[in-house]
This record gives sequence, structure tokens and C-alpha cells, in this order.
Amino acid sequence: MTAPMPTETTAAMPAIEPLPPLTDDHQLQRRGPVGHVVKIVLLFVFVIFFLLPVILLLLTSFKSLAEADPSRAWQLPKHWTLDAWREAWSQLHGALGNSFKLVIPATIISTVLGSLNGYVLSRWRFPGADLVFTMFLFGMFIPYQAVMIPLGLLFKDVGVDPGLGRLIIAHIVYGIPMTTLIFRNYYATTIPNELIEAARMDGAGMMHTYASVILPASAPAFVVTAIWQFTSIWNDFLFAVFLVTNPDSWPVTVALNNTAGSQVTPFPVQMAGALIASIPTLVVYILLGRYFMRGLMAGALKG
Amino acid sequence: MAEIILDKISKRFSNGFYGVKELSLTIADGEFIVLVGPSGCGKTTALRMVAGLETISSGDVLVDGKRVNDVLEKDRDMAMVFQNYALYPHMTVAQNIGFNLKLNGVPRDEMKRRVRQTAEMLGLESLMDRRPKQLSGGQRQRVAMGRAIIRDPRAFLMDEPLSNLDAKLRVQMRSDISELQKRLGTTTLYVTHDQIEAMTMGDRVAVLKAGELQQVGTPHEIYDQPANLFVAGFVGSPPMNLVEGRLVTGDGGAVGVAIGPITIPLSAHQVAQQSLSSRSDGELIVGIRPEDLIQAPSSPPGPDEARHRAVVNRVEAVGASLLVYFALDVTAVHRESLADTGHVADERLVVVANGTTICATFPPRSMVRPGDEVEVSVLGERLHLFDPVTELNLA
Amino acid sequence: MNRLRRWGPAFLMVLPSIILIGVFVYGLIYWNVRTSLQQQPMPRGPSGTTNYSKLWAERRWVRDLKNLGVFTVVFIVGSLVMGAVMALLLDKGVKGEGFFRSIYLFPMAVSFIAAGIVWRWLLNPSSGLNLIFDKLGLDSLKSQWWQSKSPWGMAAMAMPAMWQMSGYIMALYLAGFRGVPEELREAARMDGAKERQVYRHVVFPELRPVTLSALVILGHISIKVFDLVLAVSGKQGKTETPAVYMWDLIFQASNRPKGATVATLLLVGVAVLVIPYLIYTVRSERKS
Ligand SMILES: Nc1ncnc2c1ncn2[C@@H]1O[C@H](COP(=O)(O)OP(=O)(O)O)[C@@H](O)[C@H]1O
Ligand SMILES: [Mg+2]
Repeated sequence: MTAPMPTETTAAMPAIEPLPPLTDDHQLQRRGPVGHVVKIVLLFVFVIFFLLPVILLLLTSFKSLAEADPSRAWQLPKHWTLDAWREAWSQLHGALGNSFKLVIPATIISTVLGSLNGYVLSRWRFPGADLVFTMFLFGMFIPYQAVMIPLGLLFKDVGVDPGLGRLIIAHIVYGIPMTTLIFRNYYATTIPNELIEAARMDGAGMMHTYASVILPASAPAFVVTAIWQFTSIWNDFLFAVFLVTNPDSWPVTVALNNTAGSQVTPFPVQMAGALIASIPTLVVYILLGRYFMRGLMAGALKG
Repeated sequence: MAEIILDKISKRFSNGFYGVKELSLTIADGEFIVLVGPSGCGKTTALRMVAGLETISSGDVLVDGKRVNDVLEKDRDMAMVFQNYALYPHMTVAQNIGFNLKLNGVPRDEMKRRVRQTAEMLGLESLMDRRPKQLSGGQRQRVAMGRAIIRDPRAFLMDEPLSNLDAKLRVQMRSDISELQKRLGTTTLYVTHDQIEAMTMGDRVAVLKAGELQQVGTPHEIYDQPANLFVAGFVGSPPMNLVEGRLVTGDGGAVGVAIGPITIPLSAHQVAQQSLSSRSDGELIVGIRPEDLIQAPSSPPGPDEARHRAVVNRVEAVGASLLVYFALDVTAVHRESLADTGHVADERLVVVANGTTICATFPPRSMVRPGDEVEVSVLGERLHLFDPVTELNLA
Repeated sequence: MNRLRRWGPAFLMVLPSIILIGVFVYGLIYWNVRTSLQQQPMPRGPSGTTNYSKLWAERRWVRDLKNLGVFTVVFIVGSLVMGAVMALLLDKGVKGEGFFRSIYLFPMAVSFIAAGIVWRWLLNPSSGLNLIFDKLGLDSLKSQWWQSKSPWGMAAMAMPAMWQMSGYIMALYLAGFRGVPEELREAARMDGAKERQVYRHVVFPELRPVTLSALVILGHISIKVFDLVLAVSGKQGKTETPAVYMWDLIFQASNRPKGATVATLLLVGVAVLVIPYLIYTVRSERKS
């Protein structure tokens, strides 16, 4: 069912023209033309696998409700129409606004906290800093279900409105482990200890060192972390569905899951909605994909 | 400027390992002291304790008589030059040099003036707007120096600042730094593993081994009167010949030292020494620096001179002299303390089938070739004698 | 005193985060466990571990676990294999590598909900993939997907998850491959290794930590899988996972203690996986 992957082709890796992004690779190697073709074919098989859902989304989103029949899924629309897009927009634009109102402050605050934490935990390690970091890390992996029930109760007890405020707080708090991890790894690998010590010898205290040595070198990590937080908060469904009971405050994922029609399931509207809801993260991804990739690495390598 | 006293400072790491053990050292105001020793002996640790970057487990660091153990590094007013320079990558040369002044709120105009003045001193004027990445190793080294100099601190602390430079530049910078330090008169603690650097730069040299101080003295003292076997083996290039020997006693006590087939008469001064004559078993370790083992002159041997004929194994022309190697039928010294000195590792001194390889120094144009028979000469007063058990110098 | 002056500011800087994590992670976990020890309806007082024993006696819970097991195995193995193959294909450099990488990775930027909407059609027996297989004459590949009677029906659910995550695994492996120093590969070639042996004996062994990270990441995503299932199949017994069950307990049955019980067990599942990993990671980091 998944893409075919015969093992002999993976083993007989042919050497292809080395390209600029790779470091110069001067090996002399036999170029198996057959191997090369197999490789390219395989690469495109994967491309098709990843694009099929997108094609289906696009096709269906331009169909009318009557035409949107699962058994004719792959046929081009006979009558191209924007009705589904219009309907999806009218149902989702409020939720899109909510998502932005949620994502922007939560991303900024959790990223800033992550930078400060990451700095201290990598380069100003007080006794017990490793323990603190491990406790943070575990917080990254917990299933949020394990805190969801009391979280709702806590918000109710403290009197936080059952709206976006709750979500913003939750995403900031539960984002701290990830943002801290990215910054900590970034600082630990790119800022030599000697540099911090030089600043200390120059008379800089902790905050001065941060402002004058760390911060100017932090731009890539800020981008990576902000993208990561932006996409994961934007795409979150679990917190939103548990914490936001008022439909007016739903972010776009919840609203999308509740797109309604009068009688039948409005497939084209749903599919257009799925595209609309994905546009912001896709734009970020397309524009800043390189950083996105780095953010992914930071999440796993050298944890 | 300041006088710095290390009073029995120790560093015990969290794993229980002692990086530095009861190190005591007084660095006079304006003095240039070099802390030297093999890699891993605790030099960096000691320096960082003085800097305030490492806590002091026990003992005190005193600056001008004031205990500074609990003073934060930024308040100690010492400047440090790091091995990898640790230049701030996003700042220009000028900004790097001026960073400390900026932190201390020095007015812009004065800062600019002082940065320019410092840059001129170091020949960096034309590079002021470059970033560290755009500099060569030697230029970076200068910027790191500039960052220290501009502050006019109470002390310079330098951790192997030349080790990342190529050989030629290193020699050049050695004298540049010495000269600069003399001119500024700033108290300096300089760390290196390179004994030549230590001997050429320091007013005094402190030799460290496994966290413990072995000897402090002027380069001369260290070279001519090494306190123990370790210092003897560590200092000098090519290293001192070290062999097992025996005291030869006459009527009044010790009269000479026998190493293998050679007996070397001792001077009256040496014979008079209590420490020598009181030795009963007569076992010794004998050290002869290669430059004290020379081509025998045509004149007859003097009263405390010994001569020996040997067949040359190998010859090395090192420019100013010719190193001549031959085998001597005598036991080489194997002591654990020599393991770190480079003495044992020196492949020129390996034990050969018919004894130990010995190195002598001949005039540069003496035309000696392997296989030739030569006669070497050594004076008794040039011998370094060590107790084989305590390894201390018997002089 | 000196310690306080040296480390005080640093500690103060992370203190807010420590408090937040302390309260919102560890405090709430404690609260959740306590809730799971209550009786339903809530004010009736403590019930000890009866919620747990009752849950384990339920056929629904056991079925959910089985579903989760099938999903987890297929999802993890599938993503690892796919990711590794894609990384291998890209490792030596291909024209347009950036293009392929972007295509393979973009599903990461899409929410499970949005992805689920389209996968609902792709996995519809009378639509999506089956139609394509029909056209291509690959009838043997046609399937009832998650609606099939076989206990492996749940495996179909793993496909959208693989679609989303295998690009990530590819990225991890690719970074891992590229991180193996070229000298190491050259040394192996000089020792007479063929390209496949270079990978087998030099590259792959270097990637064990990457595989471990990937396993843990996929594993913990799998255990909490929720929105994807909901979006693809809706609430269906056949595809229910513990996380979906918990959601149902809270919103449909309003049974908080039981929901908390399920949540606690999810946490235990993740902890068993993650804590050894964290210890291992922090240790090996300290060593270097
Ligand atoms: N944080 C530490 N924990 C344990 N041992 C250490 C630590 N830092 C250094 N050491 C050990 O202390 C010894 C001295 O180190 P160092 O001062 O860096 O030596 P060097 O003379 O080469 O500068 C070395 O053996 C080193 O391994
Ligand atoms: Mg050192």
C-alpha cells in the first residue's frame, strides 16, 4: 500500500552529478545509468504520494455540491465554481481571525521565554540547571490529555474566560519546553563558552552578556523557533476543542472540523476550508522552508 | 597594576579530581610569569581561578593584599586572552576592542581615542571595520591582545595565546608580547605548554605537573638548577640526557661519578656538598645537557673533565649546531615522572641494543658523519645529579 | 553568598518558567491522577483504583489498546522505512534536491484536521485510492481500508499519519547522513567497502541516535493520536484509540474521573517510552 521500495535499489546507490548545495564530493564513481533512472522514478513516486491529497483537495474544492461525488473523485470539475470557497470563507473567516489573535502573541511570548531559558540553561548553568532542563524536556513529551481535565478546571477556578485567553496561556506554557530546547541547543553549539567568558572578563553581567553577545547571534534561532511555534499552535486541535467552549472563539482547526451544511456533508466546502485553513502555515513553510527544516532538526538531534 | 598572590589554591572538580593542588605563587607588580607544564597539568584551571571563572576549592587569591576569592570576574579588573581568542563574531574589530569601555560607560570620544591608540600600538588601524571572520589568525590574535590592553587592567591573563599560530608567527608574536608587556608594565600570568615559549618570555617561570608546583625561578635557574628530575626532563630542547649512575668514592668521600664506562671527576665544590657525601649506596641519576657534552678539544683533559670515544649513530644539523648521537653502555632512566615531559617520547633518545642513545652538541661545521668515531668531553661541574628515590636535585 | 551572587540572576531568569512548568505540567498531572481516583459523579468521594480496574475489564478499552498497537507499529515502521528510503535517495545529491525535500516535508505544515478531511476520501472504499488502483489495473491493492473487517483495518489509519510524518523522518536521516564526516566514508572506501557496505558498516551505525530520537518522537505522537482519527473516520468504534475514548468520556459521558484515568494511562505509556530516552540523552550529552 505504501510506495514500493525494493531494497536492491537502495543498496545500489548510484552517484549522481554532485550539486552545489552538497559539499564538493570528488569521488570517482561508476554512474549506473539504470540505477539513476530507478532513483529518479522512485523520487517521483514519492512526490505523487505526497501530492495526491492536494490534488484531490483542489479538484473537489472547485466542484459544486452536486458534482462532488466520492466515486468520481478524480474527475475534473465539469463546472468550475467558487461557491465552495465562498461558503468556506464565510464560515471560517472569523475563526481565521481568532487563530491569528491566538498564534501571534503566543508565538512571540513563548519564543522570547525560550531564548532566555535556553541562554541560561546552556551558558549560565546554575547548580541544578540540568535537572531543570530535564524537567522541561519531559513537559515537551507529555500527552496533553494528561493535563487537560484539570487545566479546564483550573482556568474555571481562577476565572479565565473560556475564550482565546485560555488557549494563549496554554500554548505559551506548553510551548516553553520546545522553545527552550531549540535555543539551548542552538546556543550550546554556536556560541563557544569562551565567548561568554570573554564577555564576563570584559565586565559584562548576565543580562549584558545576553544583550550584547547572545542576542545579536540569535536571529536564526528566533526564526526557527517562531516558525515552529506558529505552525504547531496554528494546527493545534486538542487544546482548542477542550478549552474553548464558545464557538465564537474557536480557532480555525475546530471551526473546520465543524463545517456544516444544511443536510448533506458539504464536501467541497470542507475541502476548500481545509485549504484555506492551511494557507498561512503553507505560506510560512514555502517562504521559510529552510528554517522550518532546521527547526525540525533541533527538535530531535542532540536533544 | 597589582601584585597577585596565590596562597595554596586548590581546585577539586565535582568528580573528586584535583585539577590544581595547593599552588602557591607570588606574582610581583609588573612581573611576567609563565606557568608551564605538560597538557592536562592544570594550567588553565589555575589561570581561570585567578580570573574568577572557576571557583576556588581551597586557598586564597590575593590581589594587592586583598582576598578576591568571592569577587566576581567582572569586578576583578583582569583581562584575559583566550586560546581561541573568543572574539565577538558580530562585532567589528573596533567594537571588539572597545567592548569593555562601552560596558563601563566610557564616553564615546574617549573610547574612540583609546581604541585608535590601542589599534595603532598593534598595527590594526586598517582593519578597524572588519569582522573577526575576515581576519587572519595573527590579526585575530592581535585583536584579542587589543581587547586586553585597552582596559589597562590590573593584570593580563593569557591562556596559550600563541598556540593557534604558525611557527614563524609564533616566534614573532612571542617577542611582540614580551615587549608590549615590558612597555605597559602590567602584571601578567601567561600559560603555555611550550617550554621554549616559557623560557624566552617569562621573567620567571613556574613549572606545574599534575596540579602541583615543581619549581619557580628565572629561566636561568630553571635551566641550570632544575629542582627535580621532572623539571630537568621537561625543560630544554633537545632534552637533557638522563642515565643511571653511581658515585665513585675516594679517600675523603665522593670524588667522581661513573656512568657506564665513563668516570667523571667532580669539582671540589661538588665534593664538599653534604648531600652528596652522605649518600651511602651511591646510586644516582645523572643528567647531562647536550650542549655540555661537546667535541673534545685538542688540548689535554682538565682536572674535572672526562672524555669518551664513541661511534656516531646519527647526526642532525639544526643550524647553529650539530647534534651528534651515539650509544653509551648504560641504563636509561625510566621514571614515571618523565612520562609527561616528552623526554621518553623523544624518539631520538630511545634505548638502543648496546645501551642508551646519548646526544652531544658539536660545532655546526664539524663534518661528523654516522659511523665516524668521535671523542666527546664533559666537565664534572656541569653534571646534574638527582636522588633516584626522591628525584630531587642533589646540588 | 558568592554562589548566590553568581547564580542568583540566572536562576531568577528561569524561575517564571520553572513555576509555570511546575504548576501546569507537574501540578496538573498530580491533579489529574487524583481525579482519576475519584468516584463518578464527582462529589461521591474517593474510589481508590477502582476506575483503573474497571477500565481494564472493559472490552472497549482493550479494543482501543489493540487499535493503538496496530496503528503504532504500522505508523512507526512505515514512517521510519519511508523516511530512510527518501533520505537515501536524496543523500548523494540529486538535481532539484530542494524541490523533493520541500514536497516530502510540506505535510508537516498541515494540521491533522485538514489532512483528515481529504484522507477521508482517499480511504473511502468507493473513492480515492481505490479508484486509482482500478484505473491502473492494480486490483490487488484495493482495500476496504479502515472499514475492513480484519483487525489490521486500523493500519489504514496509519497512512495519513505517515503522509504527515515520514518527511520529518527523512529530514532527520538526511541531516544524519550528511553529518557523517566524508573522511569516514572515504576511509571505508579505501578499506575496500562498496557503497552499500559504506552505508551498512559506517553510515547506519552512526545514525543509531537519530533512529532512537525518531522512534521516541513517532512513538509519543502515536500514543496521543486523536484529531487525525476523528477527522478521518469520525467517532467509530472500529478506529477508536484511547485518546478518542477519553474525549468521548468527557464530552459525551461527562465522566471526568474515568477520563482522567485514561489520561493517566496515556501518560504512563509515554513516560515509559520517554524517560529512559531523556536520561540517555542527558547522560550522553554530559559525557561529551
Ligand atoms: N570540569 C572538570 N571536571 C573534571 N576534570 C576536569 C574539569 N576540567 C578540567 N579537568 C581536568 O583537570 C586537569 C587540568 O585541566 P586543565 O587546567 O585544562 O589543563 P591544562 O594544563 O592543559 O590547561 C585535566 O586533567 C582535565 O582533564
Ligand atoms: Mg589548557
